[in-house]
Formats: sequence, C-alpha cells, structure tokens
Amino acid sequence: MSKSNSSEEKLSFIGHLGRWINWPRFLLAAGLTFFLTSILFPFYWMISSSFKSYAEIGSVRPVYFPPTFRLDAYQELFNPNNPQFWNFGRNLLNSLRVALPTAIIAVILSLLGAYAIARLRFRGKEVFLNGVLLIYLFPAVLLMIPLFAMLSQIGNVIGFSIQDNLWILILTYLAQTLPVAIYMLTNYFKSIPSEIEQAGLIDGCSRLGVIWRITIPLSIPALVSVAIYTFMIAWNEFLYALVFLNSSEAFTVPLKINMIFNDPTPRPHVVMAASTITTIPVIILFLSLQKFLEEGLTAGSVKG
Amino acid sequence: MYHLIQEASGWSPGANWDSLQAREARLAWGLVSPTALVVFGLIIFPAFFSGWISFHDVSLRNLSSIFSAPFVGLENYHEVVSDWAFKFHSWRSWGAAITSVVYSVVSTALTILVGLVAALLLNRKFKARGLVRATFLFPYVAPIVSVAFVWRWILDPQKSGVLNDILLRLGAIQDPQAYLSTRGLALILVIAFTAWRYFPFAMLMILARLQAIDGALYESASVDGATSWQKFRYITIPELRYVLGAVFMLRLIWTFNKFDDIFLLTGGGYGTNVLPILTYQFSFRSFDFGKGAATAMILLGILLVFLGLYVGFFVRRGEAA
Repeated sequence: MSKSNSSEEKLSFIGHLGRWINWPRFLLAAGLTFFLTSILFPFYWMISSSFKSYAEIGSVRPVYFPPTFRLDAYQELFNPNNPQFWNFGRNLLNSLRVALPTAIIAVILSLLGAYAIARLRFRGKEVFLNGVLLIYLFPAVLLMIPLFAMLSQIGNVIGFSIQDNLWILILTYLAQTLPVAIYMLTNYFKSIPSEIEQAGLIDGCSRLGVIWRITIPLSIPALVSVAIYTFMIAWNEFLYALVFLNSSEAFTVPLKINMIFNDPTPRPHVVMAASTITTIPVIILFLSLQKFLEEGLTAGSVKG
Repeated sequence: MYHLIQEASGWSPGANWDSLQAREARLAWGLVSPTALVVFGLIIFPAFFSGWISFHDVSLRNLSSIFSAPFVGLENYHEVVSDWAFKFHSWRSWGAAITSVVYSVVSTALTILVGLVAALLLNRKFKARGLVRATFLFPYVAPIVSVAFVWRWILDPQKSGVLNDILLRLGAIQDPQAYLSTRGLALILVIAFTAWRYFPFAMLMILARLQAIDGALYESASVDGATSWQKFRYITIPELRYVLGAVFMLRLIWTFNKFDDIFLLTGGGYGTNVLPILTYQFSFRSFDFGKGAATAMILLGILLVFLGLYVGFFVRRGEAA
C-alpha cells in the first residue's frame, strides 16, 4: 500500500501527462496549438519586425527574436528630421478624419431609420428593409465606376474636386455601412419593450423626445457597437480610397502602407511598423467591446 | 400583402391626413429618408448607371460629358469576353471568370471547413476559452492591408523569408522559392489566405448554432450506444445544415465580390486575376470605363446565378421537408 503510494508520487511529468491525456484531449490540444500558432505568429512577426533595424531586416536569415527594440522604423514614419521621413502622422489624421465622421453620422442616421422600422407603421417598410438588406450582397467594384463617373459629373457642375476629397469617401462608406447598422439596431430596438416609450408618449413627450430621452439611453451598448463597426470598416477600407485618392497628402492609412510597401527600396520594417500602428487600435477597440460586437457580427453579419 | 398592411394599420387612402396613423407614417418616412437618400443615390442609382455605362464608350476623355458618350451596343461585352484575360486558354491560363468561380467556391468551402473545426474546438470546455475565442477573431478584425503584407513578407522570395528559411532548414527545398509569383501555387496560397482571414466569421455563426443544440439529443444517443462520430454525423451535422448553407452562400457572394485580398497579395498576377481586379484594371489602369462596367455586369450576372442556385436549392429542400 505505502509502496504503491510512493511510486505514484514519483510519477514524472510525462507520467502524469500520459494519464491525463486521452484522444479527445489530445485532439483539442493539437487543434488549439495549430490554430493559435497560425493566428498569432503573423501578428508576432508584424510587431517584432517593426522593432528591427534595416540591417536586421536585410540579413540573410530572418531574425526571430530581435536582441534590442530599435525604433528606426517608427523614426522613419514620424520623425520629420529622418532622411526617409514618411509623414505617417498626417495619414493617421486623414484616416481619423474619415472614420470618425462616418461613425458618428452612421449612428445618427441608423438610429432614426431603425427606430422607424422597429416602432412605427408605414407603407413600404418591408420593401425598404429588404432592399436595404440586399445591399449586403452588392459588389463594391460594380459601384466604383458609376460612382466615379457620377461624382465627377456633379463635381464639375457644383465645382468641387472628387479626387482627394475625404467627404466623398465618408459618403461611400456611409452607403456601405448604413444597411448593416440599421439591421443591427432594428433587432436591438425590437428587443426593448415598447411599454416604456408608450408611457413617455402618454406623459406628453413627442416621438423625437421619446427617442432622445428613452430610446437612446436604453440602447447605448448597441449604439456604441454600431459606431465601432462603422469606424472599423472606414478605418480598414482600401478599394474606394484607392479609386478616389491621388496624392499621398490625402492618403488614408491603408493606402499609405500600400505606398510604402511598393517603394523601390523595400522597407519591410517600416511597413510592419505602420501596420502595427494601424492594427493595434482596431484590436483594442474590438477586445474592449467584444461582447456587443459579436452580437452584431452574428445578428447582422458584418460584411467583410 | 397590401391589403394586409392596410388592415393591420387601419390606414386607408381616404383616411384623414391628420389621423394618428398618417402622422406616424409621415414621421417614419422622415426618419428613414436620409438613409433612403444615401442608399438610393450611392447604390441603387449607380447600379443602374453601371448598366448604362457598359453599353457606351466611356474613357477619361469624355468622362466629364458622359451623357454624350457614343452608344456601342454589346461591343464592350464582346471585347471583354473575347479578351485573353477573360478566356480559357489552357490549364495554365483560365481567364478571369473561371479563376473567380474556382477561387470563390474553393476558398469558401475551405473557410467553412476551418470555421467548423474551430467552432467544434471552442464548443468544448477548457481553461481560458474566452481568451482563445477572442484570439481566433484577430485575422477577421485586423485591417486587410496589415495582414496581407505580413503574409507577403512571411512568403518573401528571398532567403530571409520565414517560409523559405523554415523549408531550407528542413531540407524540403534547395533554393528559395517565389511562392506568390508561381502560377498555380499563387492561387492556392490566395485561397489559403482567404480561409485564414475569414474562417472566424463562419466560426461565430456555427458556434452560435452549436450552443443552441439541445443536449438531451446527445444524451439519448449515448444511452442508445452511439459513438462520438455517429453523434456528430447524425445529430450535429443535420442541426448545422441550415447555418452551414446560409454561411456558405453569404461568404461565397462576398468572396466573389472581393477585391482587396488578391490585389494586395499578388496584384492579380500569376493566375490569380479575378473579375473584380479585372474590372479595376480596365477602368483605372487603361481608363476604359465601358469595358470595366461590362466586366462588373458580367460579375453581377454570375452572382445572380449563384443566388438562383441557392434559392432553388433551399426552396426544394424546404418543400421536401
């Protein structure tokens, strides 16, 4: 008895592992390892490479663990005294100037639209809702040519430039995101009991007053997730920016990264530094609001 | 339908303009109109306009006076279809339409498969599951430019590229390879990248459905002596059938429309030229907007065929059930 006990205590780590493991556990561990490696390695590679020097980047063998954190790449991006200065701060600002208004306007418009669909009766509601949903499936490339032609016509008449005009981008991103935003919010509003609002109406509030005093405070989480969703779409968008922006002064971040990547002298560490700066805020935003966003993802199916 | 709405709302054309219903409907349209305007002006009208452009000869020259562009009938379509970029030439050169269909069908199937495996993994209980689940979503959330360029750099043709380094060390290859500029391999890699990036979407949808399956089903199967495989085959898969079909269709359409992923990885070269990239090249490289629009309309046509197949499939299944 005591003998077997002591031999059990002496069981090595391998022995414990051997007893703990069975087929389902082994498959789970193997599967998770595979997924986590293939997901995390690219992100590790992006961040670690951004802290390498040009010599480390250009060495014969890849440097898997940079010995020191070098800020060379970030200097190139942000330091005006650097000979290879990219003025990346300006592009970050452009991206913010596109993504923030998109998010704010999208929240306001989708709030109004979704409220009407969820709470009011009107003819053409079904048509409107289904039409808006069909836009999900619409190819962006199909719209890029007519939009370009149309907007340059209007621009000629009214006298504004469609090239390098960030408001054009905001408009096109709104058109892309409003359908999903309305869909997400409509579902949310339908889950709030309407009795509270009716009480407000009976107390003499107008409809808009009810929206302002009752609906908005009750739907803050949903509104925030719509804002983040539209912000992320606008922040990541590439195709329309490629079509409508010409000068690197007006470039949003994705276009600037594309430009740095296609520089005749390859500078992968700078590309990775710029990518890191672009990715981190999106990931942080996402993680902090994961719960709300995922509901939107599955209910409204983010187009991506 | 119309009668139903009328009866339900008590609204009729003769009703008082100032009745409660009428006021409500006017308010509703007021609230909806900004969205309706943006969507109509920037999506529905342009979609029809695209059709118009595809029948006209539009270039940079006459873009500013587009309505005087000469009508050319089906010439754009004819040129696009007979263009080498569009035609099947040999097994090495497929033409954009076929590449598009192959790329989107295969990568969608792979995306769903990977998403299903990930969902099954996450459906089990283990420590730090929430954290792992959040991590699994990274590829889908991160900006496309960042992830596309990281992968391009991992697949770098030089010796210092990560994949080259690993394969050289393992002795699997003698010389560094240019993976993304090898015909055939480039398409396979682009498909793999698409699955890597978009599987989280499929995973989330499948996981939501998995967690809604009634546990009693599995219990009674266990009592009857079913193996894990039998439970998976005869309970899980049938329960997931609808969500798998819906996700497949959504992802198929979105992948078919996708421009950025391939453009950033290969620029559409080396046997990866798909219809969206061809549309871009016609319009903004050679500035032949008519041909570009014709290509986009062909893309839309194929999209409608996909939709038709899907609707047909589901309607038939629905009737059989």
